[in-house]
Amino acid sequence: MAKTPDNGRLELLQGTLDMLVLRTLQLGPQHSHGIGQAVRTQSDDLLKVETGSLYPALQRLVKRGWLKAEWGVSQANQRAKFYRLTAEGKRQLVREETRWGQLVNAIGRVMRPAAAPGTEE
Amino acid sequence: MGILSWLKGRRPVELDEDDFKEEIRAHLAIATQEKIADGVDKTDAHYAALKEFGNVTLTTEAARSVWTPRWLEALRDLMSDVRYAIRALRKNPAFSLTVVGVLALGIGLNAAVFTMLKVMALSPLAGVEASGRLAVIFGETSTGRQLRVSYPDYQYLRDHDRAFSDLFGSIVATTNLGRGRGARQVWGELVTGNYFKVLSVRAQRGRTLLPSDEIAPGRHPVVVLSDGLWRRDFNADPGIVGKTIEINNNMLTVVGVADPTFHGTIVSYDVELFIPVMMGPQLGFTFGSQQTTPSGILSDRRAGVFYPHGYLRPGITLANATAQADALWATLSRERPLTDAAQRLKVVRFWQTPGSGPTFILPTLSVLSPMGLLVLMIACANIAGLVLVRGVSRRGEIAVRLALGATRTRIVRLLVVENLVLAVPGAVFGVLLAQNLIPVLVSYAERLAAPQRVFFNIEVDGLVIGFTALVACGSALVFGFVPALQSSRVDLVSVINEDASPRGAARGRLRAGLVVAQVAVSLLLLVGAGLATRSVDAARRANPGFDPSHVTAIELDVKQNAYDEARGRIFYRKLLDAARADPGIESATLAAYIPMGLLDTRMQRVSIEGYEPRKGEDLAFMSNAVGSDYFRTLRINLTAGREFEDRDDETGTPVAVVNATLAQRFWGGALNAIGKRIRVGDREWRTVIGVAADVKYSRINEAPRPYFYLPFLQAYRSSMVLHTRGPGSVDRLVDQARACVAALDGDLPILTAKPMANQMRGALIFYNLTATMLFVFGVAGMALAAMGTYGLVSYTVKQSTHEIGIRMALGASGPSVVRRFLGRGLRLGAIGAAVGVVAALAVTRLLTSVLFGVSATDAVSFARALALVLGVVIVATIVPAWRAARTDPLSALRHQ
Repeated sequence: MAKTPDNGRLELLQGTLDMLVLRTLQLGPQHSHGIGQAVRTQSDDLLKVETGSLYPALQRLVKRGWLKAEWGVSQANQRAKFYRLTAEGKRQLVREETRWGQLVNAIGRVMRPAAAPGTEE
Repeated sequence: MGILSWLKGRRPVELDEDDFKEEIRAHLAIATQEKIADGVDKTDAHYAALKEFGNVTLTTEAARSVWTPRWLEALRDLMSDVRYAIRALRKNPAFSLTVVGVLALGIGLNAAVFTMLKVMALSPLAGVEASGRLAVIFGETSTGRQLRVSYPDYQYLRDHDRAFSDLFGSIVATTNLGRGRGARQVWGELVTGNYFKVLSVRAQRGRTLLPSDEIAPGRHPVVVLSDGLWRRDFNADPGIVGKTIEINNNMLTVVGVADPTFHGTIVSYDVELFIPVMMGPQLGFTFGSQQTTPSGILSDRRAGVFYPHGYLRPGITLANATAQADALWATLSRERPLTDAAQRLKVVRFWQTPGSGPTFILPTLSVLSPMGLLVLMIACANIAGLVLVRGVSRRGEIAVRLALGATRTRIVRLLVVENLVLAVPGAVFGVLLAQNLIPVLVSYAERLAAPQRVFFNIEVDGLVIGFTALVACGSALVFGFVPALQSSRVDLVSVINEDASPRGAARGRLRAGLVVAQVAVSLLLLVGAGLATRSVDAARRANPGFDPSHVTAIELDVKQNAYDEARGRIFYRKLLDAARADPGIESATLAAYIPMGLLDTRMQRVSIEGYEPRKGEDLAFMSNAVGSDYFRTLRINLTAGREFEDRDDETGTPVAVVNATLAQRFWGGALNAIGKRIRVGDREWRTVIGVAADVKYSRINEAPRPYFYLPFLQAYRSSMVLHTRGPGSVDRLVDQARACVAALDGDLPILTAKPMANQMRGALIFYNLTATMLFVFGVAGMALAAMGTYGLVSYTVKQSTHEIGIRMALGASGPSVVRRFLGRGLRLGAIGAAVGVVAALAVTRLLTSVLFGVSATDAVSFARALALVLGVVIVATIVPAWRAARTDPLSALRHQ
């Protein structure tokens, strides 16, 4: 059964969530709710990260040593668990960005072969 | 401290559950706070945050699964399936336990049988590499009588036969170790010099026997001990090599102790002494031959000594080897003709060695193994039935599982796990049973043989047991898998519509097939069990031709206290006089052999006066040397003439008593036989003075055969059996007989002293064992099949409660409903029975070799089996049908 995007939102591509999380944390440590919100606002509400996907992703990244989690206090003075990038995590982000760039480029070529943007309409 | 901080610095290895809960709580708190900041009411904000978050449990599980390895997850699922299966099976304990029990029995018995088969065929000899590949040469007359090869012929074959890489000879003999009271009988092998070399058996101390120990008769007074004898009788004396021991009144020097694993080359005998064959004459061995003097044993071509053994050269088949041996024999016969009946040489595998243990045990085993497999098959069919029935009755549950999104594989896995839960304990108990069964059988054989030592190269073979267990569980799984697959194909709609009648003809066919198969196989097993019990009965009731009750058998060998023939004759005469003088003893006599000793005793060629043998006719019969009063003591009827008396001694006329079969064959009747003459070998003519009724000479199931008796005083032997008969208890008789011997010579060892009935038990043992196992298999199979058939048939009826309800509501009477179902059940039963009868007729023929007194197509056994099987089918049909017919039609209809 294929999932359909509801209320105009886009489905996250398989495997891109990890990259988005890493990218979000590049701006500084953030707690899980904050990460979810950041992805949503930065994508102009087009992407919504389900907690059922976000939490396993965070655990996965911690397990691989790309993130580190520490308890802290938010700006609103609330206790929360903050995730921050490790050095290895930063390197991983670079790798993923490069791969993503190549992927977008490649898909773009396939979708618009040897033509200027917008000609297909 | 250092370690602790190091540990803390490590990456986490699993989800910190408390920490994770806390994190989620914090997450919700922040989200709620944000909503409140956006102006939402406090409670609404909390619920909105919860709603936005989604399923906390699922999220936690997803986060947790990041940390759990795949296999662990699968294992957890499996464990929950196992728990579920155990819970489900516990609801049906009788059936579950029975399946486990029968599977265990099946595996255990099969593993034991296959272990013995493997050992007998592949590695019958301990301590000898690839002993199953040994080949054996023996002679065979035109009538199929198997003959040993003489020593000169052996030498010729050894030197000329190129089919074998080498040929050795050996013959087993009871030897007397020590002298006087301390003497005892042990098994010895008289062997050729290359014996140890061909078998690649080393000495753990000193040396083995060598070709240089086979030069001249009487010139090699050496001996090699077995490890067991060295340890038991010589306390593992490290200086044993070079010491002398007394064997048959001769001093032999110990030159070595054989490898601890080696027990000789005679299956089931624990051989403890290895003596050069050249010492045979010196030690007084005649190997039962009365035609040659001890000194002639090694030079006379008519004196069969042993079956030459050896390994065939690579690429040579048994047929090649037989052809070659036979060609050599033809040359030999031309060069040095024998007066004996024509014979040919044959080469066979070791286990076919004439008269050897495997030739008795293997046929028994080959009957038992298919029986065992049949029982296993029934067990598997039952498991299949169980799964099928459970699957059908759980269609509701399965449908719900499917509706909730369980995959088909998941459900099949659950059902298969249920089979495994039954199969695994069955296999475990089966392995335990097999492991204990074999030692029990061996120790049983040891007890029977005591004081003679027996040895079987039978270890609990892990490979065989493992294989059997695997096959059993594997087939249980496969059998269970098909119905499981069917059960998983549940039609959701029909189930939800409460349509409980079985969907599709396929399941009905499978069930009918199972009923037919179970009825057929159980009929087969029951016929086998019936034939077995009836032959045991027949054997117990059979008349062996003599009366062993109230008779003792005391084995003696006066050679053990260095008696020569003259002194031996005096001893035996005094012994009989003393026994006869005892008021508790009614009659006493001597005999060379005890009847029903399982193995045939030596056959001797005879000539009948006035009878011209047909060309190639082989007149060789077994015989016994007996004292006066023999026929009276054993209560063997004399149909004509008289029995031996004390006047039939070395100075009297040579006489003989023949049995009824011999008298009938050559003279046309007992009365005609009296006064006729026969001759053993080319000795003096003997006058027939009596004709005795036939006796079972070796085995209870033997056919009548010619036999003759010589008076002991005209055919002296040093080793004899004293028989006494008296009205008192047989154990007291044994003591009295012992006392008689001890009073005459306190130093003469008594070899065995038992009631004669005990001595005979050995003859029935293989036979009893087979019959018992057939019976056990039959009953186990029947019990299982009955249960399975009952389950399947009664389930079919129960399934139709709905139908019965409708019929009753429409006015059908109870009996008519029952009749209807009975018809259906009987139809299946009849098909199964027909298949079973045909199969049984084809198969029971194989049982002929182990049956006695009943034919393989015995009508009584077949009728009983049929009645029992059909009885089970009828009961299995009537009881549930009757119960269904008696219920209120309305409740039957509502029941669904």
